[in-house]
Amino acid sequence: MASLAISFGSGAMTNSIADIKDCEVIFMIGSNADTGHPTIGLRLHQACDRGAKLIVVDPRQTAFARRADHWLSINPGTDVALLNAMCQVIIEEGIYDKKFVAERTEDFDDLKKTVKKYSPEYAGQITGIAADEIRAVARLYASPGKNSAIFYGMGLAHHATGTDNVKCVANLAMLCGKMGKAGCGVNPLRGQNNVQGACDMGALFNTLPGYAGLVSEETFARYEKMWGVKLPRRPGKAATEVWDAIHDGAIRGIYIMGEDPVLADPNAGHAVEAIDKLDFLLVQDIFLTDTAKMADVVLPAACYAEKDGTFTASERRVQRVRKAVEPPGEAKPDWEIFCNLADKMGYHMHYDSAEDIFNEVASLLPQYNGISYERIETEGLQWPVPDANHPGTPVLHVGKFVRGRGLFITEDYTQPVELPDEEYPFILTTGREVAHYNFGSMTRKTAALEEICPEARAEINPVDAERMAVNDGDWLELTSRRGQVRVRARLTDNSQEGTVFVPYHFAEVPVNMLTLNALDRLSRSPQYKICAVKLNNLGVLTVNDKET
Amino acid sequence: MTIIIDGRKIRARAGDTILEAARKTGIEIPSMCSLNVRNSQVPCGLCVVEVKGRDGLLRACDTVTEEGMTVITRSEAIAAYRKKQLSNMARDHFGDCKAPCNLTCPGQINVQGYIAHVAKGEYEEALRLVMERNPFPFSVGRVCPRFCETRCRRILVDEPVSINHLKRFVADWCMSRKINLRISKAPASGKKVAVVGGGPSGLTAAWFLARKGHEVTVFEAEDKLGGMLRYGLPEYKIPRDVLDYEIKTIIRMGISVRLNQRWGRDFDLVDLQNQGHDAILLTIGSPAADNIDVPGSANPGVISAIDCLREINTGKARNYGSSVAIFGGNNMAMETARSLLRQGVDEVTVIYPRSVTEMPANQRNIHEAEKEGVQFLTAASPVQISQVEDGLEVELIRMRLGEPDARGTRHPEAVPGSSNIIHVDTVIHSLGQSAFADRPEGNLEGELEITPKNNIKANPRTSLTNIPGIYAAGDSTSGPRSVIQAVVSARRAAENIHLQLDDTAVKVPENRFNFTRGRSFDDVALTNFEGIKVKLREKMPERAPEIAAQDFDEVRLGFTEKMARREAERCLSCGCNAYGRCDFKRECIDNGVDPNKTGQPKAPLYSRDYSHPAIVVDLNKCVFCQRCFNACEYDGLEIKAGSRADNGRPRDISFRFTDKCVSCGKCVDHCSTGALSKKEAIVPVVNEEIRDVRSTCPYCGAGCQIILKVKNNTIMEITADPDQAPNFGALCVKGRFGFNFVQQPDRLTTPLIRRGGQLVEASWDEALDEVARRFFDLKAMYGPDSIAGFSCARCTNEENFLMQKFMRTAIGTNNIDHCARL
Repeated sequence: MASLAISFGSGAMTNSIADIKDCEVIFMIGSNADTGHPTIGLRLHQACDRGAKLIVVDPRQTAFARRADHWLSINPGTDVALLNAMCQVIIEEGIYDKKFVAERTEDFDDLKKTVKKYSPEYAGQITGIAADEIRAVARLYASPGKNSAIFYGMGLAHHATGTDNVKCVANLAMLCGKMGKAGCGVNPLRGQNNVQGACDMGALFNTLPGYAGLVSEETFARYEKMWGVKLPRRPGKAATEVWDAIHDGAIRGIYIMGEDPVLADPNAGHAVEAIDKLDFLLVQDIFLTDTAKMADVVLPAACYAEKDGTFTASERRVQRVRKAVEPPGEAKPDWEIFCNLADKMGYHMHYDSAEDIFNEVASLLPQYNGISYERIETEGLQWPVPDANHPGTPVLHVGKFVRGRGLFITEDYTQPVELPDEEYPFILTTGREVAHYNFGSMTRKTAALEEICPEARAEINPVDAERMAVNDGDWLELTSRRGQVRVRARLTDNSQEGTVFVPYHFAEVPVNMLTLNALDRLSRSPQYKICAVKLNNLGVLTVNDKET
Repeated sequence: MTIIIDGRKIRARAGDTILEAARKTGIEIPSMCSLNVRNSQVPCGLCVVEVKGRDGLLRACDTVTEEGMTVITRSEAIAAYRKKQLSNMARDHFGDCKAPCNLTCPGQINVQGYIAHVAKGEYEEALRLVMERNPFPFSVGRVCPRFCETRCRRILVDEPVSINHLKRFVADWCMSRKINLRISKAPASGKKVAVVGGGPSGLTAAWFLARKGHEVTVFEAEDKLGGMLRYGLPEYKIPRDVLDYEIKTIIRMGISVRLNQRWGRDFDLVDLQNQGHDAILLTIGSPAADNIDVPGSANPGVISAIDCLREINTGKARNYGSSVAIFGGNNMAMETARSLLRQGVDEVTVIYPRSVTEMPANQRNIHEAEKEGVQFLTAASPVQISQVEDGLEVELIRMRLGEPDARGTRHPEAVPGSSNIIHVDTVIHSLGQSAFADRPEGNLEGELEITPKNNIKANPRTSLTNIPGIYAAGDSTSGPRSVIQAVVSARRAAENIHLQLDDTAVKVPENRFNFTRGRSFDDVALTNFEGIKVKLREKMPERAPEIAAQDFDEVRLGFTEKMARREAERCLSCGCNAYGRCDFKRECIDNGVDPNKTGQPKAPLYSRDYSHPAIVVDLNKCVFCQRCFNACEYDGLEIKAGSRADNGRPRDISFRFTDKCVSCGKCVDHCSTGALSKKEAIVPVVNEEIRDVRSTCPYCGAGCQIILKVKNNTIMEITADPDQAPNFGALCVKGRFGFNFVQQPDRLTTPLIRRGGQLVEASWDEALDEVARRFFDLKAMYGPDSIAGFSCARCTNEENFLMQKFMRTAIGTNNIDHCARL
């Protein structure tokens, strides 16, 4: 999101889900929509059923990979090399959209210079993909006059080079002029219901709401007038940096709403140590999570079905959330808790309803200016909605980028921070199963979902398994430089040789004990998708063995 | 183009069928199979219409519109054809619409529904469901004669489900946790109702009227509410603290109470009218004992059972001596007998002219009395009571059954010369009760029509007495009945009064439409229960009778939670879980098709298939509309008919989910009957109000629009609107099925503060004070940047906005971030 904002001027999904029907070429990279975004996956499958060509870049053999016209089983963490090579082919063969590049972009020469050395042969050595295959997909994506859309997920972003990957994706789309039209664009699929909204609302360390940054005194003045208080200018710390700051003694108190870093954070052991060091931990959640168990104060919150509000979906669609049932016991909607707590802190923050808060948001955020609860009563609106009569914006960057001209920002391939070696010979990647969500606190209470996916399985390639004499269902011990977990094996071609995939939904397999807290230098996003592990075959374990 | 449907000109798009064109303009043409412009291989045929200039009936779903076409959707021929089609389908449709327990309950309580709530651990919702029709779950849960259990189909497997104990369990569970049920109430109507009598019927009516927003005042003659529940039923049956809690729950609905107000003494009907009551309801119960027609009954040692119980239950027991004879075999006689044992009477003998099995008392009550040591002298009748020096002598005569009368009933008659005498200290008679011995005094009272049995005469349908605006219900109109019958009578009266008070209220006609697997046990094919293992009912824990008879503590101790869950799981779920959404039922009713007349199958042809993780398939209910197949966007299922019957209907239906099924559940939401149902949606919605709450799915970033089906405070299921962007009815398995977390018992319900290393419960004020103090301290010592906030990408925009606002204003730092990258 951070890098798209630099390239285009806005970090959101450029197009709409409804657009998918107009796609003629679909380029999926680092996304398994079948598990991460099933209803979007459905529309992508339907587009392919109707004849759209499909390119899938994924080390894992997903269902999309199996049906793809081109499946590039890429070496994990080498996306920049692939994307640069595609640009190189497209430029060299002169099949890029020259008019678009000339009229709507800047710094094209930088791109040309940087990608020059990424011949398909060179990139092939890095990515493990045949040079001809790279050429073929580059030509297919660039197909002049055709609608080509890029979809990516956390498989692209959850790397230490995540923003580099995204910049290169943006470069590819601009180069081919696949922007500002239905059925095209660069479409990040947001992992959670309101990632887009949380960013829009400025729950970010480096910007005020609406991506206003922390630089414009004019903006500060507007906010300060409305909120009646002097606002801090000092940049904040990203969530992933907070743990180090605690170890350094710079941060001593944390207020956590709805997060469980003890399970979720990369190198979770590091986070636990940090929490132990804190002077004060406040957790506001719907369950007593592992993190809440360590808190000094825990506040009970209402869940989505117990309060009013809005979520903003991936496609920038602002939609209503409505109260259906009462919260349990004394639990309250988070927004009420903030108001009560602010009062105690001597800052008066009073709202009658969620709608009241939304009206303040709409008055402050240019993207939301024209949105009201009344307008989204039956159907959500896609921002930007600059005024009360504006119909919303299904496609961004039509005719003009939000930042004016699209900016080519070039990056060179750098190796992932941690690669397999003799001691830790496997690459571990993590991800989702369709029946579960995040750390399972929501999905694992439903019998049907548990029946569909009752336990974590480490997916390994049968060739690796045979070499290590691992049978399907055997227990494996996965060890990284940071920790160790035990998990049963599933033998499947879905994982390529040398990689092991583990879903992260299961508290009993806390896979983030293994992952690496190396951060992207721009977004501070962690490298969930690659770390080096070794596998130890424990064979068949009885229940007692597991507990020892 | 323009076409005319039923005389209305509408615009149609070229290529649209008549059905599509009609649907787009909101004209209703019935259809059970058409979906997404596809229909069944065996079309339902309901959409037939007549088109001017064409012969016969045409299916609207596959007749393309033409310019100027004139369509008629209603005619005799069309109605007859629809009826024929539906009748054919009905002959293939096998199942129970409503469960027998539900149909048998005089209170028409959704029994299967509350059992299912118990099975799911939703005890609060179970209690709310009971209380939609019965505000006395504690009392009824303890003393109900359990009509429902006599019809429980589980009898054909092993034993009936212990239904009533489950009702008591949920009531007690909520009481022990002091749960506020938050039962909704309509806004004030401005109408006033007086209820005379604060027993079960009076309070029931008051509760339902108060829920409708009427201002209700209960006038009670005694100094406490409860009527027979308090003065007639002993504490070992209904402990007083339980009764007090129950009544308090009812009163809290917003009912005014005036105690020690006796009709005829403290007020009369005209007074109530003058006080501005728009309606008056008489629910005085049966406080007057019938006279005993035996010489010597005026002796001071002869008292009525109701007086005796009132004495004991109000702590004014007299000395009844060491032996007591009780005349009568009704429930009140049994309670009196057992109470007297507890009062220390050595010998209590119930005297009855017929046999024990012919006694009107519930056999369960008789059995319990017997176990505690009550003696029974049957086929005997008193002829004379005489006062002797140390007590009473009762002359009894043996009775035998006489010749059958015109109706075939054999009445007992005395055996001449068979008399003998017993010696007792006290005689108690329990031969029946009525509303009053003497009509209360007052100006209108003289006009009030009374039955020959001294009860108030009220129209059973309207609950009205002969005086306009004055209603009567409960035992005062019928003589003594069970509590649930009093509740039902009063509920009906409340509905009738509401209809009088609110012009906009509409009487919901009682609908007796029902498919059944068999009306009597003999009609039910045992093949229905193949594969169901014997699992005997949970036994109610009870105090040993010899110990229980020593005091007035409750005899039955109640189910534990585990017992209740196990018992609830025994329920066979006879009633259809699709009851509330069944299109087939709706079409049958709309088109006047009655399965009792058309005929319905007698035995199942298919066994239920539970192999899918989320969906149950019962092809016995399938009418082959194939909407499941036409709804599926994944090629996730196949449905085929192996052959056709003579009338063209499909036979030998086969159904399977393919390996492409992603368990999204869309097929279930489109099923026109209960052939497909969701494994977890086991609570049938019978007549309860369901709210549709539109919202956004809380899982991934696709932003799917969902509809939460909410009953009271429970999410029953989640569906999606096929016309709503961005998902157009599509949901994933999580979106449609993964909502159980909302109402998990392990949700946080109260603030917690760490004290002495432990997280302990605290009030909001304490917790927020503590937080504010700690944040202040940190700010003062280390500056605002020593505090960081983690917002949440699962919370709403409003909350994310406020959290960053809080951090930037109240704390004063930009250390705010969320998990977008996690």
